[in-house]
Amino acid sequence: MLIELKDVNKTYNNGQPLHVLKGINLDIDRGEFVSIMGASGSGKSTLLNILGILDNYDTGEYYIDGKLIKNLSEKQAADYRNRMIGFIFQSYNLIGFKTAVENVELPLFYQGVARKKRHQMAMEYLDRLGLADWATHYPNEMSGGQKQRVAIARALITRPQIVLADEPTGALDSKTSVEIMELLQQLNREEQMTIIVVTHESGVANATNKIVHIKDGIIGQIEDNREHQASAFGTTTIMK
Amino acid sequence: MRFDVDSFREIADSLVRNKSRSLLTGFGVFWGIFMLLFLMGGGQGLKQLIFSNFEGFATNTGILISSQTTLPYKGFKEGRYWRLNYMDVERLKQMMPELETVTPVINTGGREAIFGTNTSSVSVRGIYADYDRIEEPRIKYGRYINETDILQERKVCVIGKRIYNELFPDGGDPCGEFIQVGPVFYQIVGVDFSSGNISIGGRADQTVFVPLPLAQKIYNRGANVDLICTAAKSGIRMSEQEPRMREILSRQHLFDPKDKQALVIINTEQMFALVDNLFRGVNFLIWLVGLGTILAGVIGVSNIMMVTVKERTTEIGIRRAIGATPRDILSQIILESIALTLVAGSFGIVFSVQLLRLLETIVKMNPDNPAASFQIGFWTAIIAALLLTALGVVAGLAPASRAMSIKPVDAMRDE
Repeated sequence: MLIELKDVNKTYNNGQPLHVLKGINLDIDRGEFVSIMGASGSGKSTLLNILGILDNYDTGEYYIDGKLIKNLSEKQAADYRNRMIGFIFQSYNLIGFKTAVENVELPLFYQGVARKKRHQMAMEYLDRLGLADWATHYPNEMSGGQKQRVAIARALITRPQIVLADEPTGALDSKTSVEIMELLQQLNREEQMTIIVVTHESGVANATNKIVHIKDGIIGQIEDNREHQASAFGTTTIMK
Repeated sequence: MRFDVDSFREIADSLVRNKSRSLLTGFGVFWGIFMLLFLMGGGQGLKQLIFSNFEGFATNTGILISSQTTLPYKGFKEGRYWRLNYMDVERLKQMMPELETVTPVINTGGREAIFGTNTSSVSVRGIYADYDRIEEPRIKYGRYINETDILQERKVCVIGKRIYNELFPDGGDPCGEFIQVGPVFYQIVGVDFSSGNISIGGRADQTVFVPLPLAQKIYNRGANVDLICTAAKSGIRMSEQEPRMREILSRQHLFDPKDKQALVIINTEQMFALVDNLFRGVNFLIWLVGLGTILAGVIGVSNIMMVTVKERTTEIGIRRAIGATPRDILSQIILESIALTLVAGSFGIVFSVQLLRLLETIVKMNPDNPAASFQIGFWTAIIAALLLTALGVVAGLAPASRAMSIKPVDAMRDE
């Protein structure tokens, strides 16, 4: 198992204690394409933050590739995030004053990769996502789809074990959404990349092979969705 | 800490991105370091200008001048005149072994020296050969008055710089020429170029120095002298010798030893100390103002970095999410802060150096001004640059610690 969650609990103590995750058990294997679905407030974002080592959990155990992820130092956490996890955000989260290629290079900069090497690799990844011509453009000169593809290139450049996507199509129109989901599907199919998508859109979830429903901090049903027939309105298009 | 060309480019970028903000913030630091260095250089130059007035003057000299008494003493009414004489010289020499030199001087002013068709208004000063211990001559041509001149009462003289310039406008060595002062012809044996501004009965550059016994006879001065100049042995403070001198002379001339007006003692040690203290005060002010201004500038830098960090919360969060360690963020903020302070400060250093150079040129344009160095030292500039770097670190500390506390989740929450 690549990812193992055992009875993970998380409570936020901002004034009123809020028990967000109430004992999550989840296994995700290498090469899976999983979506985590739930309404807002269901705890799916918290789960994603814990999966991405962006946040700590209170009790339970979380293993990535057999390594226990608990009580890490900031430095260690940063290193794991850098080497094991690629992030794709709803709002792209590109750095506005850096060009596309500089944005893609950034994770390698923090790995200490030499300047020429990382530039060359970044160009390679941009080229694969069809953005070679846009390498020297700034994010505000690009369309939403282009920006999200730059973000995907940035997530992939460190060859992570897991790609975590937080509402990757949330800010895109339906046509671009389909393109981005197809791109993720292709990555999963051709490179056996493990991808976890957090979404509340059933159409997006339907594009994945496994749907994990989360409700009120507890995992409900886990659907096998290899046939992509999960919901009545999600078979042909991504519903907005 | 990861570090390469891109780190520097990024720092430059982020400073240039907010041009006017960086400029205004940097100006505080620029002005601070400029003020400090410029005032330091200016103060040093001014001090040298003022101290050049004491040039050639022994720092532990006491000059004794007799004057009217102001206190009644032993049956004498106040307001009595008395005069110093040769016996006093001998007395001081014998009774005060602490004094290295005791030498009398007689002055006659308001005379005219003539050479050919050139004239110069001068004062004539009769001296002994050991007068050079009191006011050090800078002999340009020839020699100073010596013992043989004194013993043989030769009609020779040493002339000051200005007299030389006026009588010999074509320059050249005037030694051997005869100049007329009043009815007497003196043969020039030396030219003194010292330019000190302390005047004991006339400035040295307008004085004709002649052997004292000669002057005494020519100008009918009898046994009286105008001044007695004394220099203490090294390690002995002149001001501590004053009461004893007063005591010796008051006993002889019957004036109250407490009567400071009857015997005036000009003590160069005290004058030096006065000027020295003055400049110590000035220096303190310079440091206070300069460092205060720099500090204000640095606080400005710190403040603006704080704003920058706040603005860039999302960016820093993204960096943290994709693998920047807190140390990466820390070094980024601190380096930006150092860069801002150092660049602004370097301009301040360069500007102050240039302005001091200009000041020095202006001062040198007037040949009457003595040479003075206004420029700050090389190492002063280096230390200033190091100081700026240190201050840059200090200014970056608070903003950096705030930046470090940004959690990667904040990047997403901020949207």
